Amino acid sequence: MSTWRKKVKKILLWLSLELVIVVAAVLLIPQAQASQSQVPDVEAEPTNGFGVMVIANELKHPWSLVELPGHPLHFLVTERDGGFKRISELGFIDDIPLVLPDLFVSGQAGLFAVSLAPDFATSRAVFFSYACGTATANSTCVVRGKLSGSLPLKVTGLTKIFTAQPLREGAAHYGGRMVWLPDGTLLLTLGDGFDYREQAQNLDNHIGKIVRMSPTGDAVAGNPFPNKAGGYIFSYGHRNSQGLVYDAEQNVIWQHEHGPRGGDELNRLQAGKNYGWPMTSYGVDYTGALVTPYKDLPGVTAPEYQWTPSLAPADMVIYQGDLFSQWEGALLVAQLAGRRLQVLQTSENGWQVAHELSFTDSAADAEPNKQRIRAVTVASDGAIYVLTDSSSGQLLRVTPAGHSSF
Amino acid sequence: MVRMIIAFVLAMVAAAIVGSIIQTQFNLAALVELSVPISFDTRISTIIHDLLHFSPTFAVIIAAVMVVALPVAYAISRWLDHGERWWFTLAGFVGLLVGFYVVNELAPMPTLIAATRSWPGLVSMSLTGALAGWLFDRLWHPTEQELKEPVV
Repeated sequence: MSTWRKKVKKILLWLSLELVIVVAAVLLIPQAQASQSQVPDVEAEPTNGFGVMVIANELKHPWSLVELPGHPLHFLVTERDGGFKRISELGFIDDIPLVLPDLFVSGQAGLFAVSLAPDFATSRAVFFSYACGTATANSTCVVRGKLSGSLPLKVTGLTKIFTAQPLREGAAHYGGRMVWLPDGTLLLTLGDGFDYREQAQNLDNHIGKIVRMSPTGDAVAGNPFPNKAGGYIFSYGHRNSQGLVYDAEQNVIWQHEHGPRGGDELNRLQAGKNYGWPMTSYGVDYTGALVTPYKDLPGVTAPEYQWTPSLAPADMVIYQGDLFSQWEGALLVAQLAGRRLQVLQTSENGWQVAHELSFTDSAADAEPNKQRIRAVTVASDGAIYVLTDSSSGQLLRVTPAGHSSF
Repeated sequence: MVRMIIAFVLAMVAAAIVGSIIQTQFNLAALVELSVPISFDTRISTIIHDLLHFSPTFAVIIAAVMVVALPVAYAISRWLDHGERWWFTLAGFVGLLVGFYVVNELAPMPTLIAATRSWPGLVSMSLTGALAGWLFDRLWHPTEQELKEPVV
């Protein structure tokens, strides 16, 4: 009897110990997660002083936003699950059929950006970046197609023109933003695949690089490493870059990238430069461990601005328009985890946040939440248009307060 | 009960410290391979940083694994009436191996702890689970001979 009692007592002791540990874990883990998504104490201002209009709802994780030339205030929008839509200024949504070869949708993988050729008015050439392949062998691809000139819009003649090498496992960190340079070449950002961060320093592959190609997907003569990785590499040492713009007035390429926990970067992008990842970073790993003890090293181009804690910059645009003349030439940066749109302007002390805007989800039944911002553009009317990131994402139009709508 | 709790806490703390130091070495080794200079002072300061900032997270993971693994090991050893120390050690190793897999499935990123991306790193970090299991039993049920050993 006493042996039986001892056994019961031991089992009870184990159970009570487990209870203590589980309670401790439940209490500790949310704190750890909260600290990972920590944002600065400075709260983004709500949209007081601005007019915000919901143009479209129910977009499934929309990813990129382009105004359709020849159709003012009509937008092309991609969705991560492969959706491609035309949205009119009044919010009418047309699905544009799009069948991408080997599209891989999972986690961060899916359809990323749509970009129009510089000669789109005559060529109607349209480019898509997306995750291609399978869960165990995938990468970032680019296809070129032709967008019909009449309604309903159709994409024809899709041809895959680029596949980042090598294929890899997992569904994280693809990059995927594209921008055209004045010489008619295309820059594409590529991520480090999360688990392959050291490869961002290896010039024999495309992991953690920004590549430059012709409209037909060929490596451009004049790229800085013609004998490495097919000659595509423009710059290297990137983690996961989702923002890329060309400032024609200054002749500068601006690029931003996600840091780990802290250390998001805004870089002045130049050919052949090493941007450091993972040898240098202002951030630490999600576990709290150091990825690297160095914030800067010889031979590494330092960021012009860095965000710690991370706000997760997802897209940016240079403001050029009449409605916000005080922001002319400023960078508008869409932040996911930071749930805000930041206006960055240069001053004597470098880049500074001139203004911040957050957008609450008025459609939510529960408490309105500030929305994650995935993409931003400035349209021909000078207003700012943003895409919010959720399974029911929105297209929003931002104007100064009192500005008449349409 | 008090002895068991003390043994458990000490085993978790020891394993978290050792695991933290091990993962720092893997991270620094990856940088050295990229020709990044790592001086002795830098190595020590990195170890200290990770002990302060990584080991608490790792301790939670180990503890969550061990509250499942150790009772299983205990049950097996009672059932076989044999080899408690070995079962606790093995359970710690296998438990952490499975724990890393589960954490990576649950976490949004492919691999939470970078050092476990490679097989040598995964095995080395899992061995800290073996240490936790062994140390727990060493403190909870020391042998008569071990009780005679001087504390210092």
